[in-house]
Amino acid sequence: MILKGTGGSETEVTWEDQQNINKFGRLNNRFHELEDEIKVAKEAIDNLEDASNELILTDEEVVRFQIGEVFAHVPKEEVETRIEEMKELNSKNLEKLEEEKESVVAQMAELKKILYGKFKDSINLEED
Amino acid sequence: MAAASSSSTESPKTTTERRGIPGAQFVEDVETYLTQTGFDVNSALAFLQERLQQYKLVEMKLLAQQRDLQAKIPDIEKCLDVVATLEAKKGTGEALIADFEVSEGIYSRACIEDNDSVCLWLGANVMLEYSCEEATLLLKKNLENAKASLEVLIADLQFLRDQVTVTQVTIARVYNWDVHQRRIRQIAASSTSKDS
Repeated sequence: MILKGTGGSETEVTWEDQQNINKFGRLNNRFHELEDEIKVAKEAIDNLEDASNELILTDEEVVRFQIGEVFAHVPKEEVETRIEEMKELNSKNLEKLEEEKESVVAQMAELKKILYGKFKDSINLEED
Repeated sequence: MAAASSSSTESPKTTTERRGIPGAQFVEDVETYLTQTGFDVNSALAFLQERLQQYKLVEMKLLAQQRDLQAKIPDIEKCLDVVATLEAKKGTGEALIADFEVSEGIYSRACIEDNDSVCLWLGANVMLEYSCEEATLLLKKNLENAKASLEVLIADLQFLRDQVTVTQVTIARVYNWDVHQRRIRQIAASSTSKDS
């Protein structure tokens, strides 16, 4: 986001405008952070999917399940339950992140309308 | 970074410093600002640019701290997981068999008997033995502290970014005002030369 003047523009920047610009900047940052977090959450869910598929295919009774830094020997059913729980948790987390992202995008669109309305060409709110 | 002085009389528009970060003063009118500070355009721009650099430095520092904390929190959660697993196994009487890394790519098997205590690494080559409950409490407290510090840090970063935005807008406005002034002077000069 850049605020560049086309030189000679007379539009004055009020405190309210400044606060809107600040808020837009903050939302933009949060948007990028959310995109990263959503990517990580999606990867985690994919890994859990792969893990549970492998689990169905394996015929061993005891599975080495990673707890902390070690791999504990855990019976297959318990591992299945744990993986299901982790998938639940991650899905809920992903849903929450997607919701927050939608809200952020909506707020940014609102602010863009207001700021472009006042400053027109003197302000650039797009991604470079 | 030196602490800034307290705010001027227009307090709602001037954010004071926060934890050593000076607040960027919002400029109502460029001309008034320049006469008030006694700066000419170039000095004002230089001053604001320098402020911007200082803000960037602090931002780097805070971002590094944030990364450290964000790495620490999953570590603590993993430790809590392990202690919880050990506690769960306590009742059953069976030993927990675990494969752990001895060196990169080399793993060994450990048989962990029923135990009431765990040892926690506290850092600085210190390791202490705790009962499972005490260990859980300590780890939970560390997790709380880390999360609280992270929140404060994020708030600091937001404040800092706001100040950076205000400073960038002020730089643009001072520059535009200068260009506008030059244009006016040029028009005035060319019209007087036409008349004479």
